[in-house]
Amino acid sequence: MATINPKFGKNLKKYGGVNFNACYNCGNCTAVCSLATQDVSFPRELVRMSVVGLEDEIKTSLKPWECYYCGECSTHCPQDANPGELMMSLRRWLTAKYDWTGLSGLFYKYLPAFLTALVLVFAGVLFFANSVNWELERMLHYGHLFEMVAIATVFVVIFIPNLLRMWYFTVIKTGTKAPLKNYFTALGDLFVHMFTQKRAKDCEDNHFRWLEHLILVIAYLSLLFTTVFLNWFGTENLFVIILGYLESAFIFIITVDFVKDRIQKKKALSKKSQPSDWFFVIWLLLMGLTAFCVRLFIDLNILETNKWMYLFHLMVLAQWALLIVPFGKWTHFLYRSFAMYFAKLKTLSTTK
Amino acid sequence: MEKRIGVYICHCGGNISDYVDVEKVRQSVEGDDNIVLAETTMFACSDANQKDMVEDIKNHKLDGVIVASCSPKLHLVTFRNVTERANLNKYTYVHANIREQSSWAHSDNKEGATEKAIHLVKSAIAKARHTEALEPTKVKAEKAVAVIGAGIAGLKAAISLSNKETHVFLIEKEAAVGGWVAKWRDLSMSDETGEALIKRLYEDLKKRDNVTIFTNSEVVSNAGSIGNITLKVKRKDEEFDITVGSILVATGFEPYKPDEGEFGFSTVPNVITLPEFKQLIDHEKDTLTYNGKKVRNVAYIYCVGSRQPEGGNTYCSRYCCTATIHAANEARKKFKDIQNFHFTRGVRSYGKQELLYAESLQGGDIYLQSYEDHLPTVFVRNNKPVVRINDILTGGKELEVEVDLVVLVTGMTPRSDNSVGTMFKLPKGRDKFFNEIHMKLRPVETVIDGVTIAGACQGPKTIIETVNSALSAATKSYTNVSKGMLETDPQIAEIDAKACTGCEDCLPLCPFDAISMKKDGEKPVAVINGTLCKGCGMCTPVCPTDAIDLIAFSNVEIMGMIDALI
Ligand SMILES: Cc1cc2nc3c(=O)[nH]c(=O)nc-3n(C[C@H](O)[C@H](O)[C@H](O)COP(=O)(O)OP(=O)(O)OC[C@H]3O[C@@H](n4cnc5c(N)ncnc54)[C@H](O)[C@@H]3O)c2cc1C
Ligand code: SF4
Ligand code: SF4
Ligand code: SF4
Ligand code: SF4
Repeated sequence: MATINPKFGKNLKKYGGVNFNACYNCGNCTAVCSLATQDVSFPRELVRMSVVGLEDEIKTSLKPWECYYCGECSTHCPQDANPGELMMSLRRWLTAKYDWTGLSGLFYKYLPAFLTALVLVFAGVLFFANSVNWELERMLHYGHLFEMVAIATVFVVIFIPNLLRMWYFTVIKTGTKAPLKNYFTALGDLFVHMFTQKRAKDCEDNHFRWLEHLILVIAYLSLLFTTVFLNWFGTENLFVIILGYLESAFIFIITVDFVKDRIQKKKALSKKSQPSDWFFVIWLLLMGLTAFCVRLFIDLNILETNKWMYLFHLMVLAQWALLIVPFGKWTHFLYRSFAMYFAKLKTLSTTK
Repeated sequence: MEKRIGVYICHCGGNISDYVDVEKVRQSVEGDDNIVLAETTMFACSDANQKDMVEDIKNHKLDGVIVASCSPKLHLVTFRNVTERANLNKYTYVHANIREQSSWAHSDNKEGATEKAIHLVKSAIAKARHTEALEPTKVKAEKAVAVIGAGIAGLKAAISLSNKETHVFLIEKEAAVGGWVAKWRDLSMSDETGEALIKRLYEDLKKRDNVTIFTNSEVVSNAGSIGNITLKVKRKDEEFDITVGSILVATGFEPYKPDEGEFGFSTVPNVITLPEFKQLIDHEKDTLTYNGKKVRNVAYIYCVGSRQPEGGNTYCSRYCCTATIHAANEARKKFKDIQNFHFTRGVRSYGKQELLYAESLQGGDIYLQSYEDHLPTVFVRNNKPVVRINDILTGGKELEVEVDLVVLVTGMTPRSDNSVGTMFKLPKGRDKFFNEIHMKLRPVETVIDGVTIAGACQGPKTIIETVNSALSAATKSYTNVSKGMLETDPQIAEIDAKACTGCEDCLPLCPFDAISMKKDGEKPVAVINGTLCKGCGMCTPVCPTDAIDLIAFSNVEIMGMIDALI
């Protein structure tokens, strides 16, 4: 027994759900979705749960993560109920639910809060630059250190507790009885999905996008590795230098294409961009661009200008690492992979 | 004078002649008594053959014609017309069906088929020997129509009849005209209110000289038949007669009254019906309150008194999905913070009315759905009604909601007062509404000649459908009186007063009350009202003295046919 709760749907609109109330349950969306199966049926079911406000059911569901937003369902919906966008808004809502700090929810719902956070981080970067007397050498040194500390902190303080919460909601609360062995057996799925997003390939007519996405993920992760562990900005090693250039160039080119899609609004999935979507692609684009320029300026020995270039890069980086990664769209990448992991775990195990 | 009969036997392009030896049939009747001409033809219905027949009838001075061909349903009228073109009375034509009844039925047995065809043609000849020229009976038709019930159906019908220069008597039981529509303010799919719509029609009617409106009036008895019907009208304490040629019944419907306890009706607080809700939202201003409390959450339970299981009202009331969605939309727009919950059995907002449904969904209304065997339940909690359902759109999950008001979407039922139906002997359907002759082809006529039906007395209808039927019933009633004269079919029963012993055995058998007793001098005899008799033949076999005969199917004709067949 559950209570019908229209407030849930109203709240979901703040996460980007549009017009899903118009759904008259024809089921076309589920029929055209190439990822939905007999056992894992969506998006109509999720549209319905959102309309009647079955919050608990949605909180414990992995289905929103099983959608890779090809947009086919929205294209075919006779009521313009945007089921694809609804799935997207549920993912945003879920990240807010998983996040113990509550900041994700705040940032999704109130743009001013997020803008304030961006300004605060920017001020922090200026403060730091001032404390090192605006010297490029020292900025580079501490900037590098900051990257490592930030990654570790975000992981320990935000991601691990949030993933545990996700696990608690979707595995424990749904009464899954999983022996430890299954956690290991399913692990393969976690990594395959994390690095290949292979389900996205099953989305109809989506192969090129999937490939772009795959290259982006690899470029992004390896650039991270190149700057943090191979110290790209400090190295003399020609191979590492060229590698870094390539990675940042790839990031730049692909994100430009994504931004272009969102501006043109031709595909269903890029029609309804939320601020969080814009921040994600633009900051990623800026990351690739500024990293490229910083290294280029070093190689061309334009050091005076590079001071400002690096400061800009550092600002983008700090905002990215402290806001967008832990509380923004970046987390979808993580939760999605874990959702596939938990889903596998559940198929291997029994439910009470 | 000896009968001169011509017989045509058709090949039907092979449909008949492939199995029936048509030439043999021809030879078997050629030369029989009264047969002047016997021919075969490839297609009897072809223009060429029809022309030949006209020539033959004239040249051979035929006074009886037989075509042995397909079913009379197809071509009886065709060949009657041929005889008329040759100046021969059409009732002298006799049809024999040797296709459906012979060649097609016995395609496995050619000899048998031929044998049977011969018998069929011979029996047709036996009948043709006795056929007589008949003329349609003409009766005077009073150029006036009585419209009973002045709802929107009656009002529109009256205007339409008045335009056709027919006198209209509009008889309304209540003090005011307009029926239910006069009680509704906002209407679906219309910018005009119900009150305004009725007012406009009423003002128009009042101006017309050829319309007499009787309010507070009812018809108490009737006499006569199509063309000349006398109605006794009772208005308060006075009674008077009017005479009309046709009657249009538009007595409308009554909203279903839920039983005590049906979805909490009169057992759970704040459970009302749709008509009550409509009046409520019409009259409340700014805030919607009921019993002094502000209303925010409203639950609508659909199909109350409609689409019930076998034994109840199994029909759909048609108007109510739309009317409810419309009322819910109006409530949401008029008052703040209204949240609507619709507990449906599947929404039927057909046609353009779908737009209202879309508006409702976009406005945030929530729809739930159940099957007939798992209807929602209503109970009390914290002094408020709670509605619970196994929602089939959410995988049958049990859902509930606490609301401030429950609206039972009551359907349409026939008028509980059936005096008009009984008086005119109007047949009813299984749904207990008045029945038309044919749902699709004769949708406003009844089996009672001269009586048409319109609007919701015939079954659930929206205003659009009501007005459509009112206009067509007006036209049908008008055709009864338009010429001031009516032709009725001469193929009816007649009673030989000399042979009639006045036993009255036939009286109760006539389904149309066409037989009555009359004094023939001293002797009481049965007589038949020619405009009421339909020639069904029910009365003929019971008469112990064979006094009743059916014109064109007389005892001699039928006996002759039987003799030829066996
Ligand atoms: C709550 C509700 C809301 C509705 N909303 C809409 C809407 O928004 N849009 C829409 O298209 N339709 C709507 N309808 C349907 C609409 O009311 C009907 O289609 C319409 O009333 C049918 O008209 P009628 O003339 O056939 O019958 P009625 O309106 O029932 O009129 C019949 C008349 O005959 C009179 N009468 C009955 N018996 C006798 C007798 N023995 N002698 C003399 N007079 C007699 C009655 O007093 C009455 O005046 C609604 C119905 C309901 C119940
Ligand atoms: S296609 Fe649209 S209307 Fe149909 S079930 Fe899906 S969301 Fe609802
Ligand atoms: S966006 Fe694509 S994957 Fe997601 S629910 Fe719709 S059709 Fe399925
Ligand atoms: S119109 Fe709708 S509410 Fe009325 S009986 Fe039919 S299905 Fe039920
Ligand atoms: S033929 Fe039929 S309708 Fe005519 S009087 Fe006899 S029973 Fe009545």
